[in-house]
This record gives sequence, structure tokens and C-alpha cells, in this order.
Amino acid sequence: MTKVQLQETEHATPTESIRIGVYVCHCGLNIAGSVDCEAVAKFAATLPYVVVSKDYRYTCSEPGQELIRSDIKEYKLNRVVVASCSPRLHEPTFRRVCEDAGLNKYLFEMANIREHCSWVHLHDRESATEKAEDLVRMAVARAALLEPEEENTVPITRKALVIGGGVAGIQAALDLADTGYHVYLVERDPSIGGRMAQLDKTFPTMDCSICILAPKMADAGRHPNIELLTNSEVQEVKGYIGNFKAKVMKKPRYVTDECTACGDCVPVCSVTVPNEFDVGLSTRHGIYIPFPQAVPSTYIVDRELCLNKENIIVCDKCIKACERQAIDFEMKPEILELEVGTIVVATGADVFDPASLVEYGYTKFPNVITSLEFERLINAGGPSGGHIIRPSDMKIPETVAFIQCVGSRSERGHLYCSNVCCMNTIKDSLLIKEHWPETKIYVFYLDIRAYGKGFEDLYKRAKKEGVLFIRGLPAEVIEDRKTRNLWLIGENTLQQELYRINAEMAILSIGIEPRKDSAVIQRLLTLSRTQDGFFMEAHPKLRPVDAPTGGIFLAGCAESPKDIKDSVTQASAAAARASILMAKGKVTVEAITPRLIEENCTVCGLCARVCPYNAIIFDKEAKRVEFIEAACGGCGTCAAECPFDAIKMRHFTDEQIFAQIDAATQLDAEKKIIAFCCNWCSYAGADFAGVSRMQYPTNVRIIRTMCSGRVAPKFVEYAFARGAAAVLVSGCHIGDCHYINANYQTLKRVEKLWKKMERLELNKDRLQLEWINASEGERLASKIREMQAIVGSVSAEEIENSKKMMRKG
Amino acid sequence: MESKAIESPKELQEQLLDMEKLKYCFECGICTASCPVMEITSNHYNPRVLLEQILLDPDKVLKKEALWLCAWCYRCYKRCPQRLKVPEIFLALRKMATRQGHLEGFNEALRTVSRHVPFPASYCWVCLHPERSMLDRQFVESALQNATRFSAKERKRRAILAQEAERCKVAVIGSGPAGLTAACELAVEGFPVTVFESMTKLGGMLQKCLPTYRLPKDVLNAEIEHMKDLGIEFRTSTTVGKDLTIGKLRREGFKAIFISTGAHKSRELKVEGCNREGVLHALEFLKEANLGNANVGEKVVVIGGGNVAVDAARTALRMGAKDVAVLYRRSREEMPANPWEVSEAEAEGVKIHFLISPKKILGKNKRVAALECIKMSLGELDESGRRAPLPVEGSEFIMDSDMIILAIGEMPNLTFLPKEIEITEAGTIAVDPFTMETSMPGVFAGGDVVLGPATVVEAIVAGKRAASSIERYLEGEV
Repeated sequence: MTKVQLQETEHATPTESIRIGVYVCHCGLNIAGSVDCEAVAKFAATLPYVVVSKDYRYTCSEPGQELIRSDIKEYKLNRVVVASCSPRLHEPTFRRVCEDAGLNKYLFEMANIREHCSWVHLHDRESATEKAEDLVRMAVARAALLEPEEENTVPITRKALVIGGGVAGIQAALDLADTGYHVYLVERDPSIGGRMAQLDKTFPTMDCSICILAPKMADAGRHPNIELLTNSEVQEVKGYIGNFKAKVMKKPRYVTDECTACGDCVPVCSVTVPNEFDVGLSTRHGIYIPFPQAVPSTYIVDRELCLNKENIIVCDKCIKACERQAIDFEMKPEILELEVGTIVVATGADVFDPASLVEYGYTKFPNVITSLEFERLINAGGPSGGHIIRPSDMKIPETVAFIQCVGSRSERGHLYCSNVCCMNTIKDSLLIKEHWPETKIYVFYLDIRAYGKGFEDLYKRAKKEGVLFIRGLPAEVIEDRKTRNLWLIGENTLQQELYRINAEMAILSIGIEPRKDSAVIQRLLTLSRTQDGFFMEAHPKLRPVDAPTGGIFLAGCAESPKDIKDSVTQASAAAARASILMAKGKVTVEAITPRLIEENCTVCGLCARVCPYNAIIFDKEAKRVEFIEAACGGCGTCAAECPFDAIKMRHFTDEQIFAQIDAATQLDAEKKIIAFCCNWCSYAGADFAGVSRMQYPTNVRIIRTMCSGRVAPKFVEYAFARGAAAVLVSGCHIGDCHYINANYQTLKRVEKLWKKMERLELNKDRLQLEWINASEGERLASKIREMQAIVGSVSAEEIENSKKMMRKG
Repeated sequence: MESKAIESPKELQEQLLDMEKLKYCFECGICTASCPVMEITSNHYNPRVLLEQILLDPDKVLKKEALWLCAWCYRCYKRCPQRLKVPEIFLALRKMATRQGHLEGFNEALRTVSRHVPFPASYCWVCLHPERSMLDRQFVESALQNATRFSAKERKRRAILAQEAERCKVAVIGSGPAGLTAACELAVEGFPVTVFESMTKLGGMLQKCLPTYRLPKDVLNAEIEHMKDLGIEFRTSTTVGKDLTIGKLRREGFKAIFISTGAHKSRELKVEGCNREGVLHALEFLKEANLGNANVGEKVVVIGGGNVAVDAARTALRMGAKDVAVLYRRSREEMPANPWEVSEAEAEGVKIHFLISPKKILGKNKRVAALECIKMSLGELDESGRRAPLPVEGSEFIMDSDMIILAIGEMPNLTFLPKEIEITEAGTIAVDPFTMETSMPGVFAGGDVVLGPATVVEAIVAGKRAASSIERYLEGEV
């Protein structure tokens, strides 16, 4: 086999003597199943600077790692390329291997031939192999231009912020505080406790919910390391891993610390409103304590209720009633500025509102209630003193029906399973049986998911107690106008028979949904959300409690619907992950920040204008441009903006990206799509498409940048100049950018390019911009399919035209 | 969109989005429990099972009778957790069955319909839409002849046999699909039935307002003639409230009364200028069109989003209007009219404007000249489970028009009811949902007078339920 010559490039060629080792991984059959790994390895051997090329069954295994380590020594390798899975998965592993063998970890490069190749082209071995070869060619081209980098370390503030005071937040705060770190526990409501405080019993053990939660709440309230900030909201978070600055607004309670919770103020208060804690089934006064076990155990005034139409306080009865003079309407909101090193997000979830499913008659028929309302009814501390009474006539119902999957597993609510409703219903049915064994109970279900420890036993117990489980959801609930009883009509799908069942009360087992204001927290912390709307973890298997943003961890229902046990488990895990960071005391920052090439810089200031972090000091007078490394996020939008090539993005240099484009367009450029994908959303989305085995055409070549804001117009122009048929620029959705707002620049640049293409009479459909987040694999796949049609329509003449035009600039 | 020669159901499965979604059917049974055809055919039909069979063995489904029984009421779709357009899926398969000549299922379905519905031919044209399945008109006609020949005779035979028993008299008020169904079911059991109708012709909405392009009137009239053979007495031009009252009927010895007077009162549009010449209600317009004496304008605007609005628009177009527009205040998603009728209307040239609401009817002298409209946007879900339309401030604009047809809903006229009979908040008669009995013993009600404007199949269900409870009621009485 003859050596394929690297095409003459217009850009840099490496100066030192480069020795590259290439390792093509089979990943069992994950890659080898649809890619001829041996052929790819043989091909790699023909590439410039490659001195050794091998294929191996499991490169990430210890023997695989050892192979690389010994080759580095034996062949004196100074660059390593592994063609295997996504760098988002194993780049850290192989970087460590390089370091062990004395090679700077920035001299390592990965070709993603699994998520971006073998898994998405399962049925076309030939094209998949060709694509894998191209991806290796691109990786080798980039590797030749990699440079060693030194990482800076920054200190970590040994304090943590926990957002949300439900059971997950309380657990995370306690664990962190017990480890010895100072914790700020921020809760929006007047008391901590969250949803768990509202529940009566917990499954599968049937423990009393508040009895096991209250001691934890009290612990959190008096822990010397925990600063409890209830009735408070996080307003702003700035900074980065180890060095966050958060602004928290402490809303006034209008009751000072003098309050002894004697309660003298309550009877004199003349306003009553629905009590949120009892989901509106009881009332409370304008001055109130949320519930008896509330922490902090002090009163609060709902000041809105004390105002008249002109916003003037018209009543002072409570002030007069308070002997200790603890009521102060003059209290003002306070803004606290907190410095923390880590953040745990435990903001919880909302419940589905079933009123939109009109056929079930919630809010129309008084005896149709939700499972959360039921919790308050069956609770001894609830509005009915623990008697389940039906709202229409306060009688204890003799027949009760539970309807499952209300708002879950449905296009009319949420597509996902809410995880807890099956067991919650089983628990509730047993609670009824415990108090009133004669009650006839029906559970209408789709599937009973009793998957956890002790769950199946509880399910069996319900069956033993005579709870009737009927497979098939009611299509309709009809109220008998006289008795207010309910008719449930549906199909028993196992019997293939219609049922028409009369129940005195129906309980809708409502699902869990993301907090309505999740978008606010998402923006504050630059998090990602899945399509379901819950916060996304850094890796679903291996980093399940880390947020994609460094130093931020997730716990409880904010991440996905889960029960108390899982919330507590995850909270402890999040606390442990945060502790690991803080115990180290310092964190290394990836060496991907920019360096100024002073001889090119004209001190125009464009870079400073686009920097999302204000990390560029631009002083026109002093003719000074300076990067503040600690504040820089490393997105690279400054480098893309610089018209004079005066900014070098370390590890993502212009030369490296040009080399990748060169390699990708070396063969059959006119059939290819060059895709620039940001590391956090779109590249991850492409990984997700791979993990989900979503199939799409093989002619796309993905180039990873940290942010779509790094994609300089010259990269796109160069791809066209090299004859590429189409170019895709892809990043996080507007508003979700990992680098605050750097993708606004992407949008602007692409729009400019479109105009330019129009001016040059080029088909502007050949350049596409698509926002794809990490969970939108299908969006990526369908975009590529759609672009395939554009590729097919581009004529040879058009390609030649764009080659000429774009080369001219 | 006409699918071009997809010949295997597997291919079809892959091509249709809903077929793809079908794989997510969790078999909750909501479609079956919502299906009026299931009840009409005494559980002979189960859409959920049919959907599952499409996944298991699509080839087999092409030959099945059940494929042809769906009557397009869309109740299943409205409640389906997966939002499966079940009728559309069946239609795709029906078309394929037609192309491949698997028509035995259709014949079988007509026989089943004939056994359970007293006016099978009308039912076939109105509810089964054979033309949409690409069935040849002559073929359908002869198939209907074959299927109905026996059932009509059988009904007559049973009626004559049953007449030997001494039974109480039953009055049916209104001769629409609910009333006709109840009358026939009872006549077959030997009850002497008298049907009272305010119009000169029988058939209610079927006769009066259903456009002739959907139901040829000779088909309907022939079937009503057959009913006379069952011993049913028809008294036309007799209006309840004017010529007779519930109390009078009781005194005349009718032991049970079924009220099926329908929903003929058009809802009023509360905007300025509604009394101008050239503004009329859709039902009025459709009725006049069926009688052949309606005039149509050049630029017709229909206001409303239900099936009646679409029918009126299509009829106006057929009568020669140059420009027909439908204004609906929500979006396509929320439109209550059947989606395929909407797209057929659009294909014929009806323009449908969404998120637009009328504000004022403008005119010259007394006549209509234009319509002032306002754009709407959708807000939060309202009590109907749909997103509430909200006017967009300052978005008013003027549309020229010389005829405005109001189709914003119909409601029953209940002024004739004695006060013993309870009425719901929605202005319909309150009945026990299963027995159809009103708050007055021996008086039953069903059809649009109970449901508000609904489909023919739903009216038939009501007629059947009422007939069987009247039978039970009278047997207890004798």
C-alpha cells in the first residue's frame, strides 16, 4: 500500500517531528459490528506521521491502556489518537494513560467512531467503514497540530449552596454540614419540608412521612454549619466551579425573631384564604405558620392580604395582639451575596393539573380529587383529621376508585412515567383498608410498576386485602346528579369487556412535572434540560448527579420524578460529589482559554464586546487587551470575532480546525456535510442519537468545538472552498447557551454568511443553522436526513462556483 | 394528500406517522370505551383490538369486517392519551383494502349495520363515508341493497309477531336519528309508537340540514317509508309546545314519552350589526339550500369552527359563491370540525382563517357590506380543556362580505318542557346518562337535546338506550 499524501494545505504544517500512534477500538461488537476496524487501522497506518496503528478489542480496558502506554515508550510517540467512543465519555481515561506514559494530556485526540458512526449506521458496513476512516483522518490531521498545554489551578471556596429545602435539599445540606462545610440552604417557601411534609405515609414501609421528616428538618434548622434562608430566592449566580457568587433575596416575613410562636395573633386576623399546605382543602389566616412542624417555627404575614385596593395596610389587629411586638410591617427584602464553591440544585417538582382532562371532571365534580389532596385528607393533621370524607357531603365513601397515569405516559400530559404514582396508590389503598376495611377499592391502571425494594410485597398486600386492580383506564367519569356518586366507564382490556362502575369517590393519581419556573433556574446556572423538562445530568450512567456545568450537582425531583428514598440517595450522592471537590480545595481549569497574538492585534476591541463573561479587559487609551483567565469560560467566540487572527484558542486553534476540514473534504467533498457541533448541546445530542441508535446518512463529518460561538465564518467559507456540499452549524438553543449567550454571535455570523451567499448567488440552503440540545438526538438525525436532500440537489457547477467564490473570500 | 400506490400494509405502517405512533398504544381501552359504534353493534366491534391486530398482522386486518365499522365521530381521538387519529389509520387501511379488492369486510359490515341500525343506507352514506375509502358508488349501492333486503323484512316480521301482545303506547317527539332509532326499536318489540314531527318531512337534521351531497334524500325517504311498515304512526306538521304538550300526550294514554327534538336554536353572536340583511344562521341556510330556495352571496363569510360551519361553507361554494371564508377564533388544533372535512373543504377552495374573531358587522343601508375582525392569540387552558382565545389589542381589520353565515353552535329549544323536567346549566335536558330518563318519570330524552350538537352515531346510541329503558319501564308498569 502506498502512502496517501496529505493534500497540500493552505494552512500550517507541523514543525517538529511528529510521531502518532493510532488505536482503533472494536468495543466488542459495538463498533466492529458495523465498521471494519482492522481495515480502519490499516488505513490509519498510511496517514502522514503515523508510526504505529493497531486495532484492539477493548481499548479502554487495562490491557488496552497498557498497550498504549508501552507503545508511547517503544515507538517514542508524541501524539496519540484513539478511535473509539465519544470524547465526552473516555477522553479523561486516555488522557490519563498519556500522562502516565509521560505525554502531555493535550497531545491526545479521539475519533468518535461509535456514537457518531457505528451506532448510527448499523446497516451499511461499507459506508460506515469509509466514514470511520475519514474520522480517523480528521483526528490524525488535528493531532499533528496539537500542542502541549499546562493547566492552571484555582482555589475552591469551601462553602456550599443548596437550592430547595425539600427532603433532597435537607439531606444534601445535612451531609455537607456534617462533613464540615458551611452550607446555605435556600428555600422559597416560609418553611423547609417540601412535598414530603404534605404526605401522610411513605411507601413501601408505611412510615409516617412527617414523623421521619420532622427530626431532619429540626436538625437542619439548628445545625451550626447550616444557614437556613427560608422565604428566600436565588436571584443571580455568577462565577464558575469553586468560585460562585450568588445573590439571594430574603423576602420579609414581617415577623421578627422575637416571635415565640404563641399564636395569639391568629384568632384576631380577619382574612382567610385557601391553605396551600392542605392544597386548598382548608383555610389559613393572613398571619400563619405553614404547618405545626414548620422549620423555622415562626409566624409569617401574607402581607398582600393586609392591603386594600390602594396598597395601604388597613388592619393592625395582629400587631396589637402580639405582646412581644414581634410583628413589623416595615421589614424590607434583603439581598445577601454569598460566595460558594459548589451548588446543589434540589428545586423539586410540581404536580400535574388534571383539569385539562375534562372527561374526568376534576373541579367539575366535587368527589373527584387528586392524589395529593387525598394525602391531606387521610393525614391526621389534615383538614378532616385523617378521615377520608368526600367533599360533596362529608361522608366516608364506601367505594373508592383510583385512576392511574393521569397526566403521565400521555400526549395530553407528559410522555414519561412519573415513577411514584403506582406505589403511592397502592399505599393509599392500604391506608383506606387499614381504617375502613369494608371499603371497596378499585384501581384502574395501565401497568403497575412495582419495581423497587419491597414494592412487590406491598402490591401483593394490597391484592390480599381485596383491592381490585382493573387493567384499562376509564374513558369518562360521569356524575350522578342526585347522589353525587360517580360512574366510571371504560374497557377492562384483559376481559375485553366494558365496565361501568359506581364509586362514591374517585382519586386521580396525578403525575409529577417539572417546576413551572425551571427555566429560571436553568438560566441562572446555565444548566440543560431534557425534553421532559427536568434538569439533565452530565452522564446518565457514570455521572448521574453532576450537572454538565462544573461544581453544580442535582438532587431529587428536579432531575427526574423519583420517590423519597431515591431523592435522599441522590442528595447524599450530590453532597458527596460536592465534598470531593471542596476537600481537594482546588480545581484545575482546562487549558482551553485564549492567548493573544500581540503582533496581529490592532486593539480594536471587538473581542471584548462579544465576551459573555466580561473576561477581556480592553483599554483603548492604553492600547491594552488582556484576558482574565479565571473568569474566562473558554467558549472561543472572541477568536471567531477577531478579524485579524490575533486570538489563539488553545486546543481549538484555527489551524487545528482547518486541518480537520481539510481531512474531511479530502475525498468526495461534493457529497459531504461538514457539521460544527458545540460540545455541550449538539455534540452531546449527536452522542445521544448514537446511544439511541437513530439512523441517519453517513456523509456527515462532525467537528467538535466548545461552543457554536467558536465557529468563525472563515471555517464555513473554507469548507465551501474545499468543495463541501453543505455545512451545518449547531449549538445550544438560544437562551440555553452553556456560555451564557455566546450563541447569539453564532446566529449573527450565520445570518451574515447567508447574506453573503445570496450576494454571491450561491444556494444559501447549503448552510444550515440548527439548535440541538443534548437530548435532541432525533432532531440532529432528522436535520441530517433533511440536509441529505439538499446535498442531492447541489450541482457540480454550483460546487465549483462556491469553491471559486469562497476562495476569493 | 393521496398516498400513491403503497401496496403492503407494512409499507403503510412505515409511512404514516400515526401508524408509527400506533406502536406507542398502551392499550388503555379508552378508545373502545368511548366508541358509540361499539354500543350500537352490541359489543360486536372493538377498535382497540383492531389497532393491536394492525401491529400483529396487518394483512389479516384488510379482510376484517371491523375495519369498516368506524363511523368517524372522533371521540376516541379526543380522549386518546397517545393522540392517535384512529379513524385516519382505519381509512388508510380501508383504501388499501379497496385497491386490493378485499371488500368482503365491507359487505359484512353493512350486514351488521343493517341488523343494528334501522336506517342502514342513510347511516352508510352519512357515517361510513364509503367515497373516502375510494369505493365505487354503484358498488356501494348494490352492496347496500343486498345487506338491507333481509334486515328490513326481518324487522317487519318481528314487529308483526310482537304486535299480538298487548302493549302500552309510546310517543316519540322529533323524527331525527335518535327518535327514529327509538321508534323502530320499540315497534319491533310490539309497542304502538307515534312519532310527532314539526316539519312536513321526516328525518330531522338528516332531512333538514345535512347537505344533499352528503346524503341523497331519496335514500333517506325510502328508509322512512320502510319504517311505516313496522306500524309506526307518523304525525308531521305537529309542533310540541304549540299543537301538543307533554301533559296532553299523557292524558291521551301515552305511557312513555321520548323527547328527541334536537338542537335547532342557533346561538346568537353578540356583536353589533347581527340584524342586518344578509346575516343568517347556518342551520337556516342549510335548510333553505336543501329546499332549493336559498340565495347565496358572492363573498360569503362563515363564522364558527364546527362541522356545521364547514358544511355551510361547502354548500355555499357549491351554490356558486365566488369566495367562501371560514373564520375560527382558535387554531386548527382546537377546531371541533372533523379534520378531514376541513381539509376537503380547503381542497374545494374554502379559505379557513384561524385565530380570528368577528367584532362588528358593517353595512350599507340595511345590508351587510363588510365584517370588522380582530386577531386572537391563545392563552391558558380554559374549562373546556382547550386554550382560551384572547383578542390581540389593536389588530382589527376589515373583510369585505355580502353574506355572513353564523355557525357558532346550536342549542335545544326547551320552552315546551313542563317544569318537572330538569335542565342542565348548558341548556340541555338533564337525564340519567344510562337510562336516558328525565326527572319526570316515564319521560325520556336523547340525542342533541341532551348532548348539544353531536353526531348521528351518538344520536343512535341515545335512541337505543332510551328504547331499552322504555321497554323495561313499561314492562314494570304493565
